[in-house]
Amino acid sequence: MFMMEELGMLAQGVGHFMTPMSLFNIAWASLLGIVIGMLPGLTATMGVALLVTLTYGMPGDQAILTLICMYVGAIYGGGRSAILLNIPGTPASAATSLDGYPLAQQGKAGYAMGLATTSSAIGTFVGIFFLAILASTLAEFAFNFGSYEFFWLAVFGVVISGRLTGADDPLKGYIAGLLGLLVAMIGMESLHAFRRFDFGISNLSGGIDIIPAMVGAFGFAEILTVMRRKLDAQVIVSQGRTIPHFRDVWNYRRTAIRSGIIGTIVGIIPGVGEDIGSWSSYAAARRASKEKEKFGKGSYEGLTAAETGNSAVIPGALIPVLTLAIPGSTASAVLIAAMYIHDIRPGPMLMIENPDFLYQVIAMLLFTTVAITIYGLSMTKLLVKVLSVPRQKLMPVIYVLCVVGSFAISQQMFDVYVMVFFGLAGYLLREMKYPMAPIVLGIILGSLLDTNLRRGLALTGGDMTPFFTRPVSLVLCLISVIAILLSIPAVNRLLLRGLKKVRLVIKWPVKNGA
Amino acid sequence: MTNNSNRLSQADLVTGIVFVVLGLTVFYLSWTMPRLESRGIHPSTIPGLVPMILGGLLALSGLLLALRSWRQGASRHFSPLNSLRAMLANEESRRLLAMLILTLSYALILVGWLPFWLATGVYIFVSIVLFERYLTAKPVPLARCLILAGIQSVVVALVVTLVFQEIFLVRLP
Repeated sequence: MFMMEELGMLAQGVGHFMTPMSLFNIAWASLLGIVIGMLPGLTATMGVALLVTLTYGMPGDQAILTLICMYVGAIYGGGRSAILLNIPGTPASAATSLDGYPLAQQGKAGYAMGLATTSSAIGTFVGIFFLAILASTLAEFAFNFGSYEFFWLAVFGVVISGRLTGADDPLKGYIAGLLGLLVAMIGMESLHAFRRFDFGISNLSGGIDIIPAMVGAFGFAEILTVMRRKLDAQVIVSQGRTIPHFRDVWNYRRTAIRSGIIGTIVGIIPGVGEDIGSWSSYAAARRASKEKEKFGKGSYEGLTAAETGNSAVIPGALIPVLTLAIPGSTASAVLIAAMYIHDIRPGPMLMIENPDFLYQVIAMLLFTTVAITIYGLSMTKLLVKVLSVPRQKLMPVIYVLCVVGSFAISQQMFDVYVMVFFGLAGYLLREMKYPMAPIVLGIILGSLLDTNLRRGLALTGGDMTPFFTRPVSLVLCLISVIAILLSIPAVNRLLLRGLKKVRLVIKWPVKNGA
Repeated sequence: MTNNSNRLSQADLVTGIVFVVLGLTVFYLSWTMPRLESRGIHPSTIPGLVPMILGGLLALSGLLLALRSWRQGASRHFSPLNSLRAMLANEESRRLLAMLILTLSYALILVGWLPFWLATGVYIFVSIVLFERYLTAKPVPLARCLILAGIQSVVVALVVTLVFQEIFLVRLP
């Protein structure tokens, strides 16, 4: 009965988009997404942010539909340049190039792209499955969350994102998160309507608008990075069969499903995106594989894992977006901003205020996956032509779109200056190896953290106890604290020494007995 | 220590100090922020509370970053002038500098000063000619470069202007 009701809502969701206008939007937005993803330097986040500026006049459901098509298309498209150029089109496809490019060198570029297409589709389907079964349960669970839980959720999001995206250097991840949170402090706060850090500039009193900031940090900054490089890469000509043999897909079904699950879990973790989903799936596939030696030399299994892993992150990332208004990835952070623009308020209340929306999102993901699979398998050679557009002709046009897009939202030059500032700052920080995701998460979660900490304190009259005694708060707090402690080298060393001692103590009686 | 990682750790030293200063400034501004006593709000809900904590944490993190890079030897052979000179001699840096001058002049000067279509046309034309003809290892013949860049700049300027003005109804600057 319960399942039937959900299936009925899904059918309604699919029916909702069976209109010529929706199908037209799916067709162009998915194709544009693939093209943006393919072009090195243009990422999914940038594509989604730029498209928000172009779709703000559309009805809400159509706007979110085109943005999700762009998001899924771009993550998929990145695999093309990873295979043909050995340059991942988006960071999500870095693991794809490890086996995709060797396959292209062996003359199997077309086949690799075909396998990447089916793997991406499987990944999205696995993610969609979990989105469908987990979202409403999580929303119900989150319905009882108060200020204490939301405060810790915001802290947890920024800390985990900082820890995991700054894997080589967690300190920089945390600094990035703090910078994002500080940006969110600018403008009017919601508890007492006091204007913070506006320095008398009226444009700052409303706070920093996330869309121009993201267009800058992911558009302008990337343009600078791409144009700086001396050489254009050479495209490998693809030939031969592009539709994968069923046995190749079937043989690696375990890898595909495992990678889909890993990708979904990574997607759910706040601010940890497709790139980490892809790398973790790839690493897990290699560990479990019977053909470990083939990895990195053109393994179908490695390619399947990487592409399934990154695509599954997308529906996974939408789970916290829809249920908690916490972004699972940077592109989904832009989606949250876009939802607010279109009067859709994500969070636990969404399932009550707008219960159809979850199934509409699932339908959007299904439609775009079908569109991408059709494009991917049928237009391989045509799509490769995109890669031959020289960057010096393309990047100035993209920059013009960054400028005009930032301006278009509220028709003020101030937003263009915000875009330029975030572009320059983003470029500098990226050059110094700071991850971008925690900054984005900080900007999105800053006001959640601030308002809920102070609202919680107001409720208790300044008593901090409930922040540490309520079960969910306690768990989130402990995970955040442990994540921070484990990233301190001295604590790590101490822990390793402790573990060694424990191991010695356990082994000692065994040896004695022997 | 390789040249690159040495340069990164020198950059870390400088940015660490910048973050300490920024963090302390934010802390000070939050500390002196009005506490709205006249409205009778609870002292633990003052607007400056969270920025104060964040400013403090940023200063602490900046300090840790600076100390770490100091210990890695960032202060040795530290010469900002030499680093700058080395950077300017590098071809990649020249490309970056050119791109910065072009993009910043377009967004901060040309747009708003010239009509949007003209500003866009000029920016695209100069950008393409510069990167196809001068800042490249394989320069395109001048006549071809000028003609193609001219056509592209006119088309892009007109299409972007028309699409945003007529379809999205944006009053362009």
